[in-house]
Amino acid sequence: MQKKTENRIIVEHVYKNFNIYFDKANSIKEKMLFWNRNKKETREVLKDINLTIKNGEAVALIGINGSGKSTLLKLMTKIIYPTKGKITVNGRLTSLLELGAGFHQDFSGRENIYFNASIFGLTKKQIDERLDQIIEFSELQDFIDNPVRTYSSGMFMRLAFAVAINVDADILLVDEILSVGDAHFQEKCINKMKELKEQGTTMVFVTHNLGSAKELCDRAIWLNKGEIQLDGKTDKVIDKYIEETK
Amino acid sequence: MNVFRNLYNYRELIKTSVKKDIGGKYKHSFLGVLWSFINPLLQIAVYAIIFPLIMKNNIENYTVFMVCGLIPWTYFSTVLNRASFVMIENGNIIKKVYFPREILPLSLVTSETVNFLISSLLILAFVLINGMGISIYALAFPIVLLAQYIMLIGLALIFSSVTVYFRDLQHFIGVVLQLFFYATPIVYSLEVIPEQFRWILLLNPMTYIIDGYRDIFYNKEMPEISMLGIIIAIGIAVTIIGYLLFNKLQKRFAEEL
Repeated sequence: MQKKTENRIIVEHVYKNFNIYFDKANSIKEKMLFWNRNKKETREVLKDINLTIKNGEAVALIGINGSGKSTLLKLMTKIIYPTKGKITVNGRLTSLLELGAGFHQDFSGRENIYFNASIFGLTKKQIDERLDQIIEFSELQDFIDNPVRTYSSGMFMRLAFAVAINVDADILLVDEILSVGDAHFQEKCINKMKELKEQGTTMVFVTHNLGSAKELCDRAIWLNKGEIQLDGKTDKVIDKYIEETK
Repeated sequence: MNVFRNLYNYRELIKTSVKKDIGGKYKHSFLGVLWSFINPLLQIAVYAIIFPLIMKNNIENYTVFMVCGLIPWTYFSTVLNRASFVMIENGNIIKKVYFPREILPLSLVTSETVNFLISSLLILAFVLINGMGISIYALAFPIVLLAQYIMLIGLALIFSSVTVYFRDLQHFIGVVLQLFFYATPIVYSLEVIPEQFRWILLLNPMTYIIDGYRDIFYNKEMPEISMLGIIIAIGIAVTIIGYLLFNKLQKRFAEEL
C-alpha cells in the first residue's frame, strides 16, 4: 500500500490537442447541409508531458498565458481526457478550478455546502462532521441559512473555498484563485493550505502569483508552449522564469 | 464492476441532486407540490373530454382506462425530453468539476420517478372515485415500475450523451415522442387497431408497460410477468449499450459544451 501511494499523480507521454472550429456545425441539420463547413484547426496544447508528483509534494505550475497550465490541471481532474498518453491518479482528488461551480442560487448556504461537498464525493455523514468547521472557516455564520443568490461575490467565494479545503482530499488542485478575497481571508487560505501541506496533502497550483508560489511550494514546473521547460526547486525555476520572460 | 463502486461512492451526490431537482422545481411556485397533480389533471380533463367525442369507443370507465396509460406515459416522455437537455443545462458544472457524469441522467430519472409516484396517486384516486376498488394485484406495481425505470435509465444515458454532439436532436425527440404517444395504446385500446397494423404497437415496449399498469388498476388481474421479464431484459440490454456509448461520448463533454 505504501508503495502504491508514493506517487500521487503520474503523467506519461501526454499529448492534448484541441480542435478549433471556425464555424462549428453543431446539429444534424448543419452537418448535412454544410458538410464542408467543418473547417477546423488542430492546436497542440500539450506535447509529450512526463511528470510524477509524489505524496506530500506541493507543486506550482507556472508559465505565461496559453502555455497549457490549466489544461494540464483539467487533465489531472479528469474533466478532459488526453489525446494520447496516460494519467494515473492515486487517492481522492479535489479541484478548485472555479469557485462555486455547482452552487444553486435558490438554495441556502447550508444546503449548498451539502451539494458542493457531495460533488467532491463526500457522504452525508462525512459532511455532517465537517459542517461546523466549514461554516466557521467561511465566517458566514449569520448568513448560512440565506439563499446564496443574496450573497456578495466575496461571501460566495469564501463559502466555496471553505467547502473545498475541508473535504480532506489526498490531492488538491488549485487554479489561480489565491488572488480573490480580501487580504485577511487570503492569508487565512494560505495558512490553511500550509497546514494541509504539513498534514501530507499533495497539492498542485496554477498561479501567476510567484510570491505565494515561493511561500507554499517546494517544487515548480515551468510550462512553455505546451512543453516542460524546467522542473525543479521553486526558487531556481522561478528565478530562471523571471529572467527569461522579462 | 467499477461503475457501481464509483456510483456508490458518490451516493450523496445522487441523493442531493434528486432532492435539489424535486425541491427546486417547487421552490418558487405558489402552489408548490400541487403542480404535480394540477398538470396531469388538466391533461386528463382534456383527453377525457375530447377523445370520447371524436373517437367512438365502448370502453367501460374510459377515463380510468386512459389515466392508467397517460400518467406512466407522461413520466416516460418527461424523462426523455429532459434527458436531452440535462448535459447542456449542467454544462457549467461539467466544465469545472469532475464527478461521474452518469449521475446526471441517473438522478434525473430517479427524481422523475418520485414525481411519478406522487402523480400515481391520481390513478388511485380515479379508480376509487369510480368505485372500481383496488385488488391485491396492486402489489405488482413495483415490478412494472422497475421495468419502466430500467428502460428509462438506458434511454436517458443514450439521449443525454448524443444530444451533446447533435443539439437539434432535442427538437426531433419532441416530435418523435408525440408520434409515439399515438403509437402506444394510451387513449385507445389495442383491439381497435386493424390486425395488419397491430405489430407496430407490439414492437413498442411502452405498450407492454402500460398494459402492465392497466392490468393492475383497471382489469384488476395479474400483469403478464413473462412479458415484463422480457421488457426488463431488453431494458438491461439498452442500459448496457447506453452506458458503453455514454462512456465513450462523455470524454469530450467538457470540450463540446
